[in-house]
Amino acid sequence: MTGRQHLDEEALAELQDVMEDEFDVLIHTYIVDSRDRIASLKAALAAVEADTFARTAHSLKGSSINIGAPRLGELCLEAEEAGKAPDLGEASRLVGAIEHEFATVSGLLERLLVR
Amino acid sequence: MSHHSLRILIADDSDTDRLILQALVKRLGHEVIEATDGLDAVQKFREDNPDIVLLDALMPRMDGMEAARHIKALAGERLVPVIFLTSLSDAEDLARCLEAGGDDFLTKPYSRVIIEAKIKAFDRMRRMHDTLSRQHEQISERNRQLLEEQTVARRVFDNVAHTGCLDSPNIRYHASPLSVFNGDVLFASPRPAGGMLIFLGDFTGHGLPAAIGAMPVAEIFYGMVRKGFSSADVLREINQKLKLILPTGMFCCGAMVEVDFKAGQLRVWNGGLPEAWVIRSDGDLVLLPSRHLPLGILPPEQFESVAETVQVSPGDRLLVMTDGVLEVANEQGALFGLAGVRRCLEQLQPPRHPFDAVMAAVRQFSDKAAETDDLTLVSLDITDQPAVPEVSEQVLPSALAGPTEWRCEYEIRERTLGDFSPLPLLLHICLEVPGLRTRGGEIYTLLSELYNNALEHGILQLPSEWKRSAEGFGRYYSERQARLARVDGHFIRFRLHHTRKPGGGRLRVVCEDSGAGFDFQNHPLASGEAGADSSSRYAGRGLLLLKRLSKNITFRGKGNHVEIVYDWNFSAHQGDGDDRQTTP
Amino acid sequence: MPIQTSLAEDDKTLVIRIEGRFDFSTHQAFRDSYEHAGPRVTNYIVDLSDTTYLDSSALGMLLLLRDHAGGDSARISIENCNSDVRRILSISNFEQLFAIK
Repeated sequence: MTGRQHLDEEALAELQDVMEDEFDVLIHTYIVDSRDRIASLKAALAAVEADTFARTAHSLKGSSINIGAPRLGELCLEAEEAGKAPDLGEASRLVGAIEHEFATVSGLLERLLVR
Repeated sequence: MSHHSLRILIADDSDTDRLILQALVKRLGHEVIEATDGLDAVQKFREDNPDIVLLDALMPRMDGMEAARHIKALAGERLVPVIFLTSLSDAEDLARCLEAGGDDFLTKPYSRVIIEAKIKAFDRMRRMHDTLSRQHEQISERNRQLLEEQTVARRVFDNVAHTGCLDSPNIRYHASPLSVFNGDVLFASPRPAGGMLIFLGDFTGHGLPAAIGAMPVAEIFYGMVRKGFSSADVLREINQKLKLILPTGMFCCGAMVEVDFKAGQLRVWNGGLPEAWVIRSDGDLVLLPSRHLPLGILPPEQFESVAETVQVSPGDRLLVMTDGVLEVANEQGALFGLAGVRRCLEQLQPPRHPFDAVMAAVRQFSDKAAETDDLTLVSLDITDQPAVPEVSEQVLPSALAGPTEWRCEYEIRERTLGDFSPLPLLLHICLEVPGLRTRGGEIYTLLSELYNNALEHGILQLPSEWKRSAEGFGRYYSERQARLARVDGHFIRFRLHHTRKPGGGRLRVVCEDSGAGFDFQNHPLASGEAGADSSSRYAGRGLLLLKRLSKNITFRGKGNHVEIVYDWNFSAHQGDGDDRQTTP
Repeated sequence: MPIQTSLAEDDKTLVIRIEGRFDFSTHQAFRDSYEHAGPRVTNYIVDLSDTTYLDSSALGMLLLLRDHAGGDSARISIENCNSDVRRILSISNFEQLFAIK
């Protein structure tokens, strides 16, 4: 499948249905969690800790897939593989892409909360 | 559709993922326990005992796979499904998860439908496993009960059967030490007038069904032999009893051996057991094969009690065995068989005892205890025996309970003379007197000598010297059969009278027969002179015995009327005879 | 199938073949083979050509067959025994109850 979406509308709708009144808490948790993880990625990169980098990318990947952010998830997968290689150049490039994508995703998610 | 509410442990270090999963699982109606890493997961498992565990593979402090190992170990016999939470891209990791003890995995993004289906499937599996475990426990318990019941049956049986005279010095035997009854029985009892009876039986089946058949046989055997019944009578009774109580298709292979030390004879009846062997002192072998159907098959009117007679002398030995001996198998599956027994006995070197030789040969053939223990082998050494061994009486008689003043008359005539021995009945009547109960051996001998003389010498007029050789014996018994068919008008009459005396009692026995009598006035023994002339009608030994056992003996009429007085005292064990020699 | 039955041409004789071991495990199958044979069957042939082994429970089963077939008036013949089987039958003197060929 080409051109992954920022947000999978269908998956989100299901999540809303499942979580009911806890949906807001979930979104909030995800956003806070992910910000922490991205900070960790940067720190790991700076400290040249490839293992930590890969694991953190792996976690962010999982939660992003679950929340319904496929493109973000894909980027995290690539980052994880870069960390495993290890290819720090690629890793560095991907952290930037991840930050950028996350900004988009979190913006879209927050708009859901307001509604 | 029934719904079981389960307790499910979810371990994931990602708050987001955990939130989603616990919501999904709660929506399905289950209770959720949460853990944030591997160590936490194992702890929560120990405390809360969940039914199913969902584990993230990668976690800090202890990753999912190690946590899975700990959890499976803690679960032990119980089946607790462990499902790993993972991203689809980790294909190799998936395999490692399953190797670590995981039962399945759930991929992200979580799908409500898939989670529901897997939880249901694993719950089914879990419950099935529980049921199996419970059934397994029930079966184990039931088995234990059955074994216990069989052990009790064995103990009851041992009380009924007891060893009789199996511990005589001239008998050796090997019986299975298996506590569960194996269907083999071995009984031995001395006979009141001397000699003994040995019975070896092999019931079809094992355990309780076999034991149930054996108990009445034990009662019959010991009860009848003690009263003086012949081996033919005992066999007939056993066959009839078994035919009655055993279902069709169950039976008892058996051999009955009547040992007559006095006459130097064995009478062997073999119905269904392997060949019995007589091993003579010079090494010659005599085979005694099974000639009859096993016991419990034929109705009484078709049953044959005819036994084979073998002359034996001191130093000869008899070996009887169940088919357990022949069926011992070695590693290649070959059976010891009749050939094995024959080989062993043919190669026997004195002074080796055939019993030891056969047991050693069997053990050498197969070193598996299970094979070599499940058999019965018994050997009898022919020896010289004293005249009247006492039949041990285990019940202490009370001097006051029982008839002491009585008389009775019992007469048998014509056809009954051949068909029926009145001795057990007469003995039974006498043994009702408490003071006579420990003297059964002597009483029986008295009655038996009187009766046999009356019948065989008085009525049938069979010369006793025929009995002294092997061929003569055969001739004696076939003539006996022939003449018993021609006893019209003949009878034997017993009159018994018992009365109390100070310190004991007196039994008077009168035996009359319709025979020609003998010249008692000129008979050396009858007229009181010493020395035995063995060519006379009364076998010298018989008359001597009567004289020894009784207080006095009187002949009247033509010599076909004999009166015997037998006195007994409370204090002594023996009766009062004139020429008493101390016999222990 | 360890037990095979067939009806002879005369329609009155049931032939029962036992393959392999004739022991307690064949109990039910053996009973089934003659119990539903029908009223026309008056004679029985137990064919032991492929029977390798016979134990005391098999002897018991033969007695049950004999009982079913009329006891003393039963017409049963046991055929094609190998020497081991024959010896077991002869130790128990079963030729007094069955025709053994």
